Amino acid sequence: MQINLEQFLRVLAGETFKYRNLAVGIFIFINLFAVIVGLMWPKTYTSSSTVFVEEKNIIQPLMQGAAVATTVTDRTRIAKEIIFGRKIMNQVIEDAGWLQNGLTGIEKEKLIDALKSRTTILSVGNNLIKIEYKDEDPARAFKTAQKYTELFISESLGTQTQEGQAAFEFIDSQVKEYHEKLSSAEQQLKEFRSVNVDARPGTEAEVAGRINALQATIEKTSLAIKEARIKQGSLEKQLSGEAEVAVTATREGQYIMRIGELQSQLDTLRLTYLDTYPDIVRIKHQIEDIQENIAQEKRKREAGREMAKSGGQVVVDESTRMNPLYQQLKQQLFETKTEIETLTTRLAETNQLLRVETGRARRIHAGEASLAELTRDYEVNRDIYHDLLKRRENARVSRNLNRDKQGLTLRVHEPAFLPLQPSGARFMYFVIGGLLLGFIAPPALIYGLQKADPRIRYSLLISDRLNLPVLAEVPHLMTPGEMATISRSARMHLIFIFTTLGFVLAISFFRLVGVM
Amino acid sequence: MSKIEEALEKARARESTRSQNSTLEPGMQLRAVPDMDEHDFEAHVAAGKQIARMNEPWQHSRKELAESGVIYPGMEDIRVANAFRELRTKILQTTRGKNCSILVTSTSKSAGCSFVARNLAVAFSFDESKTALLVDCNLANPSHHELIPPDITLGLTDYLRSDDLNIEQIIHPAGIQRLRLIPVGGRLDITAEYFTSLKMKRLLKNIKERYMDRYVIVDAPPIMHSPDARILAEVCDYAILVVPYGKATEAQVLKASRDIGAHKLIGIVFNNEPQMPSISWLRKMMGGLNQVASKKSRSSRPSEGKS
Repeated sequence: MQINLEQFLRVLAGETFKYRNLAVGIFIFINLFAVIVGLMWPKTYTSSSTVFVEEKNIIQPLMQGAAVATTVTDRTRIAKEIIFGRKIMNQVIEDAGWLQNGLTGIEKEKLIDALKSRTTILSVGNNLIKIEYKDEDPARAFKTAQKYTELFISESLGTQTQEGQAAFEFIDSQVKEYHEKLSSAEQQLKEFRSVNVDARPGTEAEVAGRINALQATIEKTSLAIKEARIKQGSLEKQLSGEAEVAVTATREGQYIMRIGELQSQLDTLRLTYLDTYPDIVRIKHQIEDIQENIAQEKRKREAGREMAKSGGQVVVDESTRMNPLYQQLKQQLFETKTEIETLTTRLAETNQLLRVETGRARRIHAGEASLAELTRDYEVNRDIYHDLLKRRENARVSRNLNRDKQGLTLRVHEPAFLPLQPSGARFMYFVIGGLLLGFIAPPALIYGLQKADPRIRYSLLISDRLNLPVLAEVPHLMTPGEMATISRSARMHLIFIFTTLGFVLAISFFRLVGVM
Repeated sequence: MSKIEEALEKARARESTRSQNSTLEPGMQLRAVPDMDEHDFEAHVAAGKQIARMNEPWQHSRKELAESGVIYPGMEDIRVANAFRELRTKILQTTRGKNCSILVTSTSKSAGCSFVARNLAVAFSFDESKTALLVDCNLANPSHHELIPPDITLGLTDYLRSDDLNIEQIIHPAGIQRLRLIPVGGRLDITAEYFTSLKMKRLLKNIKERYMDRYVIVDAPPIMHSPDARILAEVCDYAILVVPYGKATEAQVLKASRDIGAHKLIGIVFNNEPQMPSISWLRKMMGGLNQVASKKSRSSRPSEGKS
C-alpha cells in the first residue's frame, strides 16, 4: 500500500484540526516552557586558547637519522591526559582563585570534577589543540583557560626535556656497563693467549699437517728397514756358500799329473810288451825323473818356509789366493747392516716427534673451545658497545635539541581571551526552538498516535489490503452549530497563539535590550 | 403466514447464512439487475412526468437542512455533496440505471450510517428524473423522523404490526424535493423477525416497483451489533457498508463485509474523514472577525461621541 504524500498530509491536517484544542495547548505550553527555560538557563562564558604543535622545523631535516624528535601521536589525548592530571588541576585551582580555605578533600575532588566537565580539549586541524573552558564568570573563564594553556605548555616541554635527559642517562649507563664487560672480556682473552701460546688461529691445521707428514715418514722408514733386512738375509746366505780362498795349479801338481799320464801309457804298453821293451824302459825312466823333480820342488819349498819362519815373514803360498766375489758380498753385507741401523734410529726419532706433535694437538683442541667462547663474548660485547656508543650520541643530540627547545615545540597560537558575550545555548535558541517545536510537536504527536492505532484511517487500506471497493470518501460535514463553535474556538485559539507569540517576542526584546 | 411460507423462509434464511459465512470468493459476482428495454424507457418517461406532478406540501429551508446535516445544492462546502454525488453515480453504474433497494449499514454505532443513508437518498433526489424513498429501519436509534413534522407518527413498525394501514399512509414527504420517507413509527417493540416477514418483503417490492425511478434507501442498524441488518440485507437488492474514519479495524471491516455477503455488497463508504475547513469557510470566518472588529470600532465611536 502506497499512501501518497497528499493523502497523508490531508489526513494529518484534518486530524490536527480535529484535536486543535490539544494542539494549541501544546503549542502554548512548549513556547512558554522554552521561554522560561531560556530565562533560567545560566549564562556561560567560554574562553579558549589554541596551542600550535610545531612538528617540522629547520633542525629536523638536518638531524634526520641522528636524533629522534619527540612526536606527539594523538596529541589531543595526550594533552587531555596532561591537563586533567592531578598536578595541573591542582595548580589551576590554586592559581585561578578557586581554592578557598577550608576545602575538604571531597569538596576539592568535586571541584576538580566540575572543572573537568566544563573543559573541552579538542584538536582543530592537524597541529592545533584547542583548550576551551566554560564558566558563568567571564573573568574566571579567561583566567582558567589561560592557566591551562600555560601549564600545559610548560609541563609538556618539561616532560620532553626530562624524557630526553632520562634517555641519555640510561643509554650512558648502559654504555659504561658494556665498556666494563668488554674490558673484562679483552683481559680474559689476553690471559688465555698468554697461557696458551699455541692457541692462535690456524695452529690446529698446521699441527695436523705436521702429524700427517711424520706419519708418512714413519711408514716410509719402516718399509725401508724391512727391505734392508731382507737384503741382509740374502747376502748372508750367499756368503755362506762362497769359499774364502781359491786354490791355483802349482808345478808340483803338473808333475804329478805327468806321472799319472806316463803311468797310464806304461800300463797300456805293458799289456802288449814285456818290461824289457825299450819304450817301457824309457817310460820308467821318465817317471823316475819326474819323481825326482817333485822331491826337489818339495825341498825348495821347505827351505823357503824355514827361511820365512826365521825371518818372521808371512809366507804367501804361491798356490793359494783371496776369493774376489766373497770380498764383494762381504762388503755389501756391511753396507746393508749400516743402513738398517741408520733407518732404525730415524724411525725412533720420528716416533718421538709424532708423540710430541700429538700432545700438542690435544692441547690445542682443549684451548680452542675456550678461545671460541672468549672470542664470542668479546665480539658480542664489542658490537653492543659500538651500537650503544652510536645511540648515546643520538640521545645526546636529542637531549640537546630538547634542552634548546628545538625539537617538538608548543607555542600559543591564539591566547585565551576575556569573553564578552555569553556562549552556548543562548536565549534566542530557546525561543526559536520553542516556536519550531510548538508548531511541529502537535502533528508529530498525532502522527505517532496514528501509527500506534490499528484502526483504519486511509481508505486506500480497505481497497488495497481488504480488496473491497471503496465507493466514496465522505468528509466530515459541519453543521452550522458546529461551524459557529469552531469559529468561536478558532478565534480563541488565534488570540491564544498571538498572545503567546507576543509574549515570547516581548520577552525576547527585553532580553535583547538587556533588561532581563 | 402459512406454514408453507414459513418453511420457505427458513430454507432461504439458511441458504443465505451459508453464503454469508463463506468468504468473499472472487468468483462471486453481484447479482445484476436486468437491463432496461424499450418498454422500460417509455415507462421511465412516464415516470418522469409523474415525478413532475409530485406535489411537495412543504419544504425545509436551507438552514434547517444544514442543521440536520443534509446536503443541498449550492451549499458552501461542496466536498460532502460531491462525495455523495459520486457515490450515487457509482451505485447507478452498478445497477445500470435501474431502480433498486439499497441497504445502508455500518461496522459500529455512531458511524454515521443514518447520515450516509439520508444524504444518499438526497443525492438521488437531486436528479430531477429520480425519486428516493428513505426507509428508517434503525429501531434502536431512529433519526430520520426529525425531517418531518412531529405530528406525523405513522411509520414502518405501525405498518408491520397492524393490518389496517395502507402503504400510502406511512410514506410521507420529507420536505425535500423528490424525497419520501418512511419513518420508524411509534411501535418500537417489534422484533427483528418482522423484517423477514412476507409483509416487509411485499412492502419493499411495492415501494420499489410503484415508480420506475424510485430508489429505496434502507437505513439499517450496525451489522456487528444486531441481526437486523443481516436480515434486512436479504430483502434488499444491494448493500453498502459505512466504515467510520479511525474507528474500525481491518478485521472488523472484513467481518462486516462477510456478514453482508459478497453478492449484495456494492462497496464501502469511508465516512467522516476529518479535514480542515474549506478555504471559503475560512475566508468567511476571517470576514466575520473583521466584522467583529469593525463593529467594535463602530460601537466605540458613538459612545465617544456621546460623552
